Amino acid sequence: MADENTPHVQAKFFTKQSQYSIPDTPYSVPAAVGTSELSSLINQILKGSDDSVDAGIEFDFLLDGEFLRVPLDKHLENRGVSSEDIVEIEFVERQPAPKPEDSLLHDDWVSCLQGCKECILSGSYDNTVRIWTTTGAPLLTIPGHSAPVKCVKWLSGDGGPTCRFISGSHDQTILIWEWHREENSVECVHACRGHAGSVDCIAINEERDKFVSGSWDKMLKLWSAAAVAEGDQEEQLEAPTKKQKISKKVQTRVPVLTLSGHTEGISAAEWLSRSEVCTASWDHTLRLWDMEKATQTSQMQGTKVFLDMSYSLLNRQIVTASADRHLRLWDPRTTDGAIVKCTYTSHNGWVSSVSWSPVNQYLFISGSYDTVMKLWDTRSPKAPLYNMSGHEEKILAVDWSIPSLLLSGAADNHLKVFQYNDEKHGT
Amino acid sequence: MSSKSRSKRKPDQFDFVDKGVNDSDSSESEESVYSGLEEEPDTSEEDQEQSSNQSDNDSSDNDDDEDITLDDKSGLELSTEQRKELSTASDDELNEINDQRYTGNVKSQNRKQQKQITVKTADRPDEYDYDSSDEEDIRNTVGNIPLEWYREYPHIGYDIEGNRLLKPEKGDQLDEFLNKMDNPNYWRTVTNKMTGQNVVLSKEDLGLIQNLQSSKHPDSMAENYQSSKHPDSMAENYQPWIDFFTHEKMIHPVTNHPQHKRSFIPSKWEKLKVGQMVHALKMGWMKPTKAKTEEEEEENFYMLWKEDEESEITRRYRAHLPAPKMPLPSHAESYNPPPEYLLTKEEEEKWQNMEPEERRMNFLPQKYPSLRLVPAYKRFINERFERCLDLYLCPRKPKIRMNINPEDLIPKLPKPRDLQPFPTAQAIVYRGHSDIVRTISVDPTGQWLVSGSDDGSVRFWEVSTGRCMKSITMETGSLGNMCIRSVAWNPHPDVSLVAIAMGQTVILVNPGLGDKMVTNNTDNVLHSFSPTEEESMGKKVYADWSSIDTSDKRFENGFRLLLQHPKEVSQVTWHGRGDYFASVMPKGDSMSVLIHQLSRRRSQNPFNKSKGMVQCVLFHPVRPFLFVATQRYVRVYNLLKQELSKKLMTNCKWVSSMAVHSGGDNIIIGSYDCRLSWFDLDVSTKPYQTLRHHKRAVRAVNYHRKYPLFASASDDGTVIVCHGMVYNDLLKNPLIVPVKILKGHAISHDLGVLDCVFHPSQPWVFSCGADTTIRLFT
Repeated sequence: MADENTPHVQAKFFTKQSQYSIPDTPYSVPAAVGTSELSSLINQILKGSDDSVDAGIEFDFLLDGEFLRVPLDKHLENRGVSSEDIVEIEFVERQPAPKPEDSLLHDDWVSCLQGCKECILSGSYDNTVRIWTTTGAPLLTIPGHSAPVKCVKWLSGDGGPTCRFISGSHDQTILIWEWHREENSVECVHACRGHAGSVDCIAINEERDKFVSGSWDKMLKLWSAAAVAEGDQEEQLEAPTKKQKISKKVQTRVPVLTLSGHTEGISAAEWLSRSEVCTASWDHTLRLWDMEKATQTSQMQGTKVFLDMSYSLLNRQIVTASADRHLRLWDPRTTDGAIVKCTYTSHNGWVSSVSWSPVNQYLFISGSYDTVMKLWDTRSPKAPLYNMSGHEEKILAVDWSIPSLLLSGAADNHLKVFQYNDEKHGT
Repeated sequence: MSSKSRSKRKPDQFDFVDKGVNDSDSSESEESVYSGLEEEPDTSEEDQEQSSNQSDNDSSDNDDDEDITLDDKSGLELSTEQRKELSTASDDELNEINDQRYTGNVKSQNRKQQKQITVKTADRPDEYDYDSSDEEDIRNTVGNIPLEWYREYPHIGYDIEGNRLLKPEKGDQLDEFLNKMDNPNYWRTVTNKMTGQNVVLSKEDLGLIQNLQSSKHPDSMAENYQSSKHPDSMAENYQPWIDFFTHEKMIHPVTNHPQHKRSFIPSKWEKLKVGQMVHALKMGWMKPTKAKTEEEEEENFYMLWKEDEESEITRRYRAHLPAPKMPLPSHAESYNPPPEYLLTKEEEEKWQNMEPEERRMNFLPQKYPSLRLVPAYKRFINERFERCLDLYLCPRKPKIRMNINPEDLIPKLPKPRDLQPFPTAQAIVYRGHSDIVRTISVDPTGQWLVSGSDDGSVRFWEVSTGRCMKSITMETGSLGNMCIRSVAWNPHPDVSLVAIAMGQTVILVNPGLGDKMVTNNTDNVLHSFSPTEEESMGKKVYADWSSIDTSDKRFENGFRLLLQHPKEVSQVTWHGRGDYFASVMPKGDSMSVLIHQLSRRRSQNPFNKSKGMVQCVLFHPVRPFLFVATQRYVRVYNLLKQELSKKLMTNCKWVSSMAVHSGGDNIIIGSYDCRLSWFDLDVSTKPYQTLRHHKRAVRAVNYHRKYPLFASASDDGTVIVCHGMVYNDLLKNPLIVPVKILKGHAISHDLGVLDCVFHPSQPWVFSCGADTTIRLFT
């Protein structure tokens, strides 16, 4: 392969992707080999065994669960692995690069967004909530809040003539909306009042009958997300003495539960299971709450203000975005103290938002005030897989609810859509 | 044997048998003692004898000695061996007579030995064969030098004619080994350094060496040859010791005199003496010595540390300071100095005209043709006297040098890394103003930021995103100057009000941000105010309060109250409870500071007289004190007692800003002469520490409310963050460590950073500058 003077490493290749499986024989590769050379080597091997496989597939290589990003000998040296032994290298097909697809122009800063099947919901600083199709056509602009919208979440968006979504705002209210798809009309069904500060985050549980909201007033509130009729009944059951204020057909809803504990505003909340909620706050802590017992169960201490958090149902881990350049990976199942499992550093500014891939347990995206969105693999802490630039101002929100679309909203009034084709998981 | 060598001979000198000449030799130097060591004819029997037990050997020697003493008298029937021994050991005069007699015999035997040796050493004829000189150190005239200097040469020295004396040939290692194995005398063979020849030590030589090794007198054999009968004892060198006056009690007296009679009879004279004393006692002439009282005994003081006090004499000896030496005479003092030392006429005249104290030399160099003509020195007595005066009048003191490592003088500061958290990097830039941003303030929850700019606008920002939530542009109109000089957010969490100083007005604005309830409550409270006329009557009105009507267009912008001041207002600051606020009018003379009360809408002037141009004022965070900074001083007033409680000397030329620690005991002051002074009010009215890190005027200083941090903003475009830990322990001084220089602001119009404010809960610092931006450093 190369002249004999260069040092060689015995390497054994294996993969979990069955269509690329190759015989289990060790190969001698030059120590200073990089990813591209290894990739062509694998291609050659594949070609030799089976002609049908299309050559020229880009592969990525994993050693002990970490991506090869530098020449092989450097990597082994950094990891303290002897180059004398046979190195076992796992190869996976390289994640395809996201392609910028669309840019949705708003009237003001895009503060929050969420995708759902064919629709994208975005909240803006001009007090409106907008609905877009994934192809970029504006469907609706909904004024309703009296202050900038801070968070939007789909309550039920899959099929059906009516979709429901929730929006939280600086005006301290949470509005539950009903969108009639055919008529393309929207109406506000509930106004959830109770917060004394801007509502910064909303999290809906898996059953979609409850949601929690975190606010700058340090409170975490649990609300019923049930439909109108049920909601009425529930509220009357729960608070029979309290009369509902009905104004403009909007029913006011009061929180089922209010939990205090944070000493600063809550910036992010996520449901971990049926009853467990995790919140991230400006007081440098992550707290786990049991919603059935209405208590705080544990607390993880960080060192910086948390700006966002995302929880993956696939790997049961939390990734947080802080008011520094780092993303941190936490495992909420460990109860003893704050254990940061990994730190991902590449951004140059505050990381404002983070989101796990809904289908791939290794991937997540992050948006930062340095105007770049990054696609990360948990196995590559030093460098992200891809940088997605395009925004000219601070990115305020990113979302990966639709597996094939990466969304980012920024202070340059744009919502950018990136196409991402994860062939492995996409189908 | 020459008579000369005989006469030199001393009894304590070592004797050696000269193998070749068979002559006892004398030598004068220690060196030559060993150079004279020669081979001795010896038999294997002797060798055995020598190697056998020491005492046996000695006893056998003794036998010999006895024989010899006998033989000396008889002079007959000596065995050859005994004679030889005699000859080798002979030093005494007695032996000398016999020497000649048996040399012949010995010689013959030595010849035999000689043959063996020559075979061993070399073919070269032994130099001793033809040279009869007994002083062989004369042979090698190399002198008293280390002989290893000749180690590398084939010769070992020079004889008297200057010819080289060649080294005897030496065998190689194998020869050496064979010699070691075969030669019974090998163990007592040594090499003469001077000649390079091997010498077999004689029995006497060995005895000498043994004596030396066992620390005995070396020539005990010679000394006590005849006298000592017990050479095996240690005392062989000395007379036997008779212990006459032993410490042991002897049963027999030393003398055997019977005791005298008078030792049994009482003394008559003692009896008389006692009688006299008894009489004297009776008559009262003599008094018995008093028994010591207890007090006297108790008063038995002594200096416990007396040893530590040096007596004057010892101290003077120990710490003796020698008188400084007189300078040595130079060429000028010479009776015949070189011409260049002689003064010319003019110089001499000049010297004469000078005061005696001013003269460089106190004499005139003079030239005499010869020493004989030098007259007596007239000034001798004077000079001696002056010298004595100098020594007497000028106290001498030892110079104590301070051995201080300069690095020890630098205080040990912790590393900034250990003092985390503190702001390190710029995070957010708040853009929107079009002119210099003079002043900023953060709301008590830390969610909002208000800024005032020279473009006449006040902007409200969301801290976390940098979003400008609200902008109020002031109307020009009657207000004239549009510069916003100062903004201050009400520190009370239940009041939503911002005080804005612009021109001669102080405007209270309800920003309408944050909690709706708080905003509404504030509005309601302001609305429900009803002036009580009685109080305002008869009192001087310092500031004109006017509330904005709800119908007014400005009400929509949040304007709630206007306070019209007589002069331009430079600063507003709130009291911690949020009811009082103070405004500063630097040109207001006696009215330069006004304290306003929000709930009663009235203003007070706490000072009747102007104490100077007031730069800024601050309320104490917990106690009813007011800090007033004028150009040079900071005065601390007790507002309850209405008196001056402290006056701080800032040591700077022009105070620009001031901040008080949340504990209230420490304040920092920034000044236009680039300094930042830290005052500890409990300790002193002078700065505890002055920091000169800025290169240009310090514009603003600020303390963090929770973290031990303070920051200073300067015209050099930087914000310097320092760690300033104040301890609860009163004995512990505050720890002040500069930790970070934050750069980012550009300098425009010679102005850099104009204000800096800490976030109320996070270790973040906001700064605003002349480059129209506000920056957040985290």
